[in-house]
Amino acid sequence: MAVSWRAVVLAALGLVPVAIWPVPGTVLLWAAVVAALCALDVALAASPRQVTVQRTVPSSVRLGTPTTSQVVLTNAGRRRLRALVRDAWPPSLVTARDDDGGLRPHTDPAEPARTARHTVDLPPGESARLRTPLLPTRRGERSAGAVTIRTVGPLRLAGRQASLDVGGRIRVLPEFASRRHLPSRLARLREMDGRAAVQVRGEGTEFDSLREYVVGDDVRSIDWRATARGGDVVVRTWRPERDRRVVVVLDTGRTSAARISTAVDGSVNTGGTRLEASVEAALLLGALADRAGDRFQVIAYDRVLRARVAGASGPRLLPAMADSLAAVEPVLLETDWPGLVAQVRARVSQRALVVLLTSLDPAVVETGLLPVVDQLSGTHQVVVAAVADAEVAAMRAGRGSVEEVYDAAAAARGDLERSAVAAVLRQHGAEVVEALPDQLAPRLADTYLALKAAGRL
Amino acid sequence: MSAPTASPTATWTSAAVTGDGTTLGSRSRRRWRTARWLVGGVAALLVAVLALALLRPVGSVVPYDPGNTRPNGSQALARVLERQGVQVQHVTHVADAVDAAVAGSTLLVVPAPYLLPEQVTALAGVDADLVLAGADDGLLRAATGDQVRRASWGSLPTSPVDPGCDLPAAVAAGPSLLEPGLKPTSPTVATCWSGPDGSAALAATERDGRQVVAVDDPAFLRNDDVLTEGNAALALHLLGSHDRLVWLVPDPTDSTVPGDPTAEPETGAVLPDWFDAALWWAVLVALVTAVWRSRRLGGLVTERLPVVVPSAESTRGRARLYRRARSRGHAAAGLRAATAQAVARRLGLARSAHPDTLVDAVVRATGRDPREVADLIYGPPPADDAALSELARRLDTLESEVHRP
Repeated sequence: MAVSWRAVVLAALGLVPVAIWPVPGTVLLWAAVVAALCALDVALAASPRQVTVQRTVPSSVRLGTPTTSQVVLTNAGRRRLRALVRDAWPPSLVTARDDDGGLRPHTDPAEPARTARHTVDLPPGESARLRTPLLPTRRGERSAGAVTIRTVGPLRLAGRQASLDVGGRIRVLPEFASRRHLPSRLARLREMDGRAAVQVRGEGTEFDSLREYVVGDDVRSIDWRATARGGDVVVRTWRPERDRRVVVVLDTGRTSAARISTAVDGSVNTGGTRLEASVEAALLLGALADRAGDRFQVIAYDRVLRARVAGASGPRLLPAMADSLAAVEPVLLETDWPGLVAQVRARVSQRALVVLLTSLDPAVVETGLLPVVDQLSGTHQVVVAAVADAEVAAMRAGRGSVEEVYDAAAAARGDLERSAVAAVLRQHGAEVVEALPDQLAPRLADTYLALKAAGRL
Repeated sequence: MSAPTASPTATWTSAAVTGDGTTLGSRSRRRWRTARWLVGGVAALLVAVLALALLRPVGSVVPYDPGNTRPNGSQALARVLERQGVQVQHVTHVADAVDAAVAGSTLLVVPAPYLLPEQVTALAGVDADLVLAGADDGLLRAATGDQVRRASWGSLPTSPVDPGCDLPAAVAAGPSLLEPGLKPTSPTVATCWSGPDGSAALAATERDGRQVVAVDDPAFLRNDDVLTEGNAALALHLLGSHDRLVWLVPDPTDSTVPGDPTAEPETGAVLPDWFDAALWWAVLVALVTAVWRSRRLGGLVTERLPVVVPSAESTRGRARLYRRARSRGHAAAGLRAATAQAVARRLGLARSAHPDTLVDAVVRATGRDPREVADLIYGPPPADDAALSELARRLDTLESEVHRP
């Protein structure tokens, strides 16, 4: 049973008889009137348990992309259904309406989510379709709440209420905000393709074809034998090697749970952990490597394997990656680096580009990564990509007060330690990329392209 | 490029659900299961309240109250007086007592430690005969015109003492064990049952044509002591000398003074008639509002939140340690090393370059004084916080001046 605000108004109207007959008995009588009318209304209200409910949701949606949950309501009873219906979803999907009608994430917990509430008026046997707008702001698997139906009687004073567990879940995929960097990197990849001369002739750079010399080509790439055979000056062209293996390892251990900054500009992503930036970088690198013709696989690991995508390529790669990385969350465990290395060695036997998306925290690297990096860098090209903290970077520049200078000194000391760790890693043959969250994905892509151009894959 | 969604049109549709699988019976049973402890608790509370109400003692529990049957009450005396034809009027407010104590009646004031000075004055000025039982010093002096005071310490007599006076009540009472605690300051005061130090158990005086009798020990009024020695005779003589007896047992919260226009009125007299009805109406509206707001439209939907650790915490912690320890040397060394590294990288020097090499390179790039540059990068730690701030500023300037040569 539930009463509406009209019942409160009815009770308040009792002031009129109380003003005429100012004795407590009048109030008692009026209370009996209110109770009787509410009971009558409840008795006449349609049963919320004689309503058939069916919910339709998209099975997956990208973070920050508006979507809708549809509920079809059919009045299976014999009474007219006047009801307030709530289609409940977890907080990170619930929206609120702006004054101008636009959707925004619902953030005020004191305010009920009005977009999830619908008023219906259905004659017996008829159906209505209710659309609840959703705006996912966090990655992962989200289960819907119940559909709650509150019917009211003909007087609209009171009614009955039931919550129906209909089910429904949405997989919120990573945002892939770094895809805006993809076109420029693909253009650079095409430039590399068929370029007349690479500056560094690595052993892996493959001979592509011969073509006529044009002004500007490097004279060192002239193929004298072919030139002698024909009449024109002919140069050799090269193309980046293909079918290399790229393995991206996402460290989902405790260092990945660190909140590095607020969300990237223009994004509704409220996750903000180091892992979010790592996922973005992995997606961009995957898209790029797939276009470049390399075999790409991704592993998420802390002490056990959390997610893995391998063998997918072409248009199936990104959906597969997004799908398996959607539910990966940071865990508060120390990463098992020997186990991680064993995973990589079990997955790839040939030389590969191994990208470790982790942090450069000196204490963690010294006890975890450093002892085992040699096992990887011996056979593979290792890139350690780490997400730097924008807040620490801001602290580094602070000079406003004595406190800020001390903060800056501490941040500078941290920078020094991290660059020392990076130097040690470089001595062990690993490339090190450290960048702010929104810069990591393009920087890692650039590193990949540079390694490819240099034939070091 | 392809979007990472599996397929933009892939949807999932639930089964058609009707009802939540409950019936009226199952819902009632579930509600009873959740509410039974509350209902049981409230019922037990009601039973306890009812039992206490039924077992409550009948009559008053106030000491010296003429309706109190307990040992500290005085109902025995009041009943005997009434049987003898004395009209006993029990009052608890001073104003009522003063109004009732007209000439030709007796006013009994039982021990009253909380009387206000105005009330004492009003009681001392009544036209009736006054009997003060266990009165405090202020009331004694006011009623007797400062002729009787309270002795500091009286000692209980171990054996009955003869009255030693010709007051009819005392003579009728004979020997008594009452505590002597009154000290007369005027020879016109008749004293009875005097002790060895001159203090008396009873003092009587005439004032403005009425008799004022003070008895220091109020025990002679109590149910348990009224039959001791001559207490009953004393009490009946003192209180039964007129047809009307006003028996004042002051209420500790009473502050009424007769004839005072600002006297406290009866509770509720200032409130209009309709106030009760309006109050109940407000309660009704509040109740209905509570019922309206109490039912949620469905339960809360929860969501597992990831563990989030603020990453800059450790850096801030280190900064606070530097600050608390006033470790300017460490702080300055950190800033200097960072500047040296940045400058060295910009000038193409190795991380491990010798300090002299670095200073030389910086001097060549900026044209500064070598000693100044060496002092800036490798100098002594700053002496105070201001010097540290200044050092940070100068290091910034140096860093901005260095360009690739």
